[in-house]
Amino acid sequence: MITLQVSRYRPGQDAEPVFQDYEVPLRSDWAVLDGLAHIKDHLDGTLSFRWSCRMGICGSCGMTVNGEPRLTCGTFLTDYGEGPIRVEPLRGFPVIRDLVVDIDDVLAKLAHVKPWLIREGEELPLTAEYTQTPAQLEAYKQYSMCINCMLCYSACPVYALEPDFLGPAAIALAQRYNLDSRDQGDRFDLLATDEGVWGCTFVGECTSACPKHVDPAEAIQRYKLTAALTSVRNLLPWGRS
Amino acid sequence: MEIERHQYDVVVIGAGGAGLRAAIEARQQGKKTAIVCKSLFGKAHTVMAEGGAAAAMGNVNPDDNWQVHFRDTMRGGKFLNNWRMAELHAKEAPDRVWELEAWGALFDRTKDGKISQRNFGGHEYPRLAHVGDRTGLEMIRTLQQRVVALQQEDYKIHGDHEAYIKVFAECTITRLLKDGDAISGAFGYWRENGSLIVFDAPAVVLATGGIGKSYVVTSNSWEYTGDGHALALLAGAKLINMEFIQFHPTGMVWPPSVRGILVTESVRGDGGVLRNSEGKRFMFDYIPEVFKDKYATTEEEADRWYTDQANNRRPPELLPRDEVARAINAEVKAGRGSPQGGVFLDVSTRLPAEEIRKRLPSMHHQFKELADVDITAEPMQVGPTCHYIMGGVEVDADTGAACVPGLFAAGEVSGGMHGSNRLGGNSLSDLLVFGRRAGAGAAAYVDGLTSRPKVHDAAVREAQAEALAPLERSGENPYEVHHELQRTMNDLVGIIRKAEEITEALEVVEKLKERAKGVGAAGTRIYNPGWHLALDLRNMLLVSECVAKAALMREESRGGHTRDDYPQMSAEWRRKLLVCSSSPDGSNVTVEERPQPSMREDLLTLFDRGELSKYLTEEELAEYDAAVAAKES
Repeated sequence: MITLQVSRYRPGQDAEPVFQDYEVPLRSDWAVLDGLAHIKDHLDGTLSFRWSCRMGICGSCGMTVNGEPRLTCGTFLTDYGEGPIRVEPLRGFPVIRDLVVDIDDVLAKLAHVKPWLIREGEELPLTAEYTQTPAQLEAYKQYSMCINCMLCYSACPVYALEPDFLGPAAIALAQRYNLDSRDQGDRFDLLATDEGVWGCTFVGECTSACPKHVDPAEAIQRYKLTAALTSVRNLLPWGRS
Repeated sequence: MEIERHQYDVVVIGAGGAGLRAAIEARQQGKKTAIVCKSLFGKAHTVMAEGGAAAAMGNVNPDDNWQVHFRDTMRGGKFLNNWRMAELHAKEAPDRVWELEAWGALFDRTKDGKISQRNFGGHEYPRLAHVGDRTGLEMIRTLQQRVVALQQEDYKIHGDHEAYIKVFAECTITRLLKDGDAISGAFGYWRENGSLIVFDAPAVVLATGGIGKSYVVTSNSWEYTGDGHALALLAGAKLINMEFIQFHPTGMVWPPSVRGILVTESVRGDGGVLRNSEGKRFMFDYIPEVFKDKYATTEEEADRWYTDQANNRRPPELLPRDEVARAINAEVKAGRGSPQGGVFLDVSTRLPAEEIRKRLPSMHHQFKELADVDITAEPMQVGPTCHYIMGGVEVDADTGAACVPGLFAAGEVSGGMHGSNRLGGNSLSDLLVFGRRAGAGAAAYVDGLTSRPKVHDAAVREAQAEALAPLERSGENPYEVHHELQRTMNDLVGIIRKAEEITEALEVVEKLKERAKGVGAAGTRIYNPGWHLALDLRNMLLVSECVAKAALMREESRGGHTRDDYPQMSAEWRRKLLVCSSSPDGSNVTVEERPQPSMREDLLTLFDRGELSKYLTEEELAEYDAAVAAKES
C-alpha cells in the first residue's frame, strides 16, 4: 500500500483546501490516476478530478504531484518509492473543487492568438488541395502536438505573477500557424507585446513540464527574434507599409 | 429554485467531430447554435482517434474512387449497411477532408506535397488521410478553432462572440423536451456546480458518441455511457443495429490498469504482423470464404503487397476488424495466446526503429510509458477491446433526421452507415460527412417551422425531479451497479454470444435497473462524480438492454455479432433490421424486425454477381440479374 495525500476542497464545507490521506494498493503498473480512480470507486465517491483518455492525448488529468505539474495518467506510483505522494490541483488556477481547476482564462488566451489560417485576400478553396511539402510540414509540426493540458501554465513563474501574460501554450499555438506555409499572418500585434513574448523571462519551466515535447520555450525565443527583426524592418522606409 | 434558460435554434449535444461539424454547419446557415458537452471543450472522444479519415482522394493510388470506397464499406459491414449513407459517405468524404485542410488542419504529406494516405483494414487502396497516429487530435483542434474563428467573425458583426455559437462545456443533458410529437428543447445540469439548465430549441442534434462504458474491457472513456442513444429512445426515436458492437482486435492487454486501451490499426497498416505463442502468423488460417480471393495466402505474397499492391493480395492482418478480433479470440481460447492472455503484435522485426518512431510516435510513447515495452525492439501483447457501436439512432441518410420531428443524430450515436461492422478510418470521415448533413438538416427543419414548439413546465419539473433524485437518497453506491453491469455485458454479451448467456444477462440487467432506482450520491451538487454516474446509469442500462435483446433475437453471425449457437451468416437475416423502441420512462424496451430496404440498382450493379451471391437471397439475385439485363439492353 502507499499513501496518497490528496488535496480536498469542498466549497461550503471547507474554508480552504485540506489534505486527506488515502491508502491505495502500490502496484507497479498503476499510475497516480489509477490510485485516484481506486479512491473514487472504492473509498470515497465524493472525490472529484478530471480525466478522460488514460493515454496522454486528451490532456484532462493534469495535477500537481509532489510539487510538480504532471499528467497523472503517465505518472506511476512506483516512481515515488515508499510514498507518501501528495496530489494537489494544478497550481496557478482557481480551484473549483478538490482537484478540479478553472482553466477559462487560458482557453480565452488560446482563442486570442487567432488560431486559424490567416489569408491575405483570397481564402483557400474549400474543396481543393493545397500543396505542402514534408519539409514545410516539419517547420511547424512540433507545435501542433499541444494537448492543452495546462501543465506549462502551471509551471510558468511569470504566469503565476502576471495573469495577463499570454503564456507558453498560446504563444506556441500562434507559432504553429505563423510557421505554417499556408498562413500569411505574423500575429505581430498580439505577440510582440509586454503581455506576449516580451513578458517571458526564459525560465524554460514550460518546456520541462510539457509531456508532448512541444517546447514552448523555444517557440517563444524564436518569436522574439522574429519580432525584433520585424520591428527593425518596420522602421525602414522600404519596410512594411 | 431558479433554472437558467436559453433560447437557441439548434442545440448540438456532444462536441466531438460530428457535433462540432454539425454546429459549424448550423451556424453557417444562420442558426443560433449551442454546443453542449459533458467534458471540457476539445477533450471529446474523437481526440483519441489515431489512424485517420478514410476518403477516396486517390492521392497515393489514383485508381481509388468513391465506388471502390463504397464497395469496401458495404463489404466491411457485410452488406447490412444503409446503402444510401454508405454512398453519401464515399462521395463526400474527400470534400470534407479538403475542407479541413482549408481550415488549417495538418496532414502528413506525400513527397510532392499532397495529403498522404495510409493503408487500413478492409480498404482496397491506401485511403486514410492522417497525421502520424494522432489524427483525431488534429481534427478536434481544427474544428474547435474553426468555431473560435466563427465566433470572432460574429464579434465583428454583432459585438458578441457568442451571438451565433456558444459552447456549454461540462454540461450534461438528461432529458429531451417535447411539445406534442416534436422536440422543443433539452434539460440538463452543469457538472461544475450542479445547477440546472433548460434549452428552448426546436431542433436538437445528438452527437454523443458510443456506449463502451457498459463493458469492462473497452477503449472508450467515461463519457461513453450511451447518453444520446438513451435520450433518443426515451424521446420516442428508434435505435437500429444495436446487436452490432465492434471489438477492436488490438487493445492493450497488459498491464491491467490500461487493459483495453487502443493499439492503432496503423501498426498493421504499416507492416505489423500478428503471431501466436508458437510464433506463427496465424491470420492466414482465418481468411473467411467471402474474402478468399482478396487476401494473400502466403507470407511471401503478403509481404510483397506492401511495395507492390497491383500484383499481390493484401496481408490477412488487414482483414476487417470483426474477423481479426474473432481470430485472436480463437487463438487465445486454443491455448496459443501470449503470457498475459493476448497475442503478439510485432512491428519491431518489420520496420527499422527510426521508421517506427516516425510513423507511430504515440504508440511508441504509449507502450514505453504505460507498459515499459519498447515496440521498436519487442512485440506488443494485444487482444480485443470494446471499441465502437455500429447501432444507433435510425436516421434519414440525407438529413440525419430521426423519426421524432426536430431530432437529428450524427456520428457514432447514429445507426446504419456501418452495417454490422465498421471499417477503420470510416469513423472520422463519417463524423464530418454526417455531422455537416445533420447540421444542415436541423437548419432546414427550423426554416420550415411555422411556429416554435414550446417547453412545458410540467416536463421541466419532471426532468428536475429525476435529475435530483439520487442526491436525496442515501442508497447503494452507483459504482457497484456500474461494475456489475460492465462485468455482465463483458462476460455474457461480449465478442462471442449464445442464447443462454444473453438471457442470463437480460435477467441481470433487469435486476440492476431496480437497484439503480435506489442508488444514492452523498455530498453536494458541486462537481459530484457519484451523482453524475447515478444519472449516467439510466442510459447505460437502457442501452445494454437494447444490445442484449437485439443480440438474442438475431440468430446468425455477422460482423460485430457472433453467435456460438448460430455460427453462419444468413442471407435471410441480412434482409432484416432489428429496431428498438422504448416507453417514455424506459421501463419497457421492445425489439421488432423490419425489412431492410433493397439497394438502388445502380449501386447494386457496382458489385459482381459472384460476390453478391455470398450475401443475398436467390430472390434478390434474380432482381440483380434483371437489373443487369436492363442495363445491357
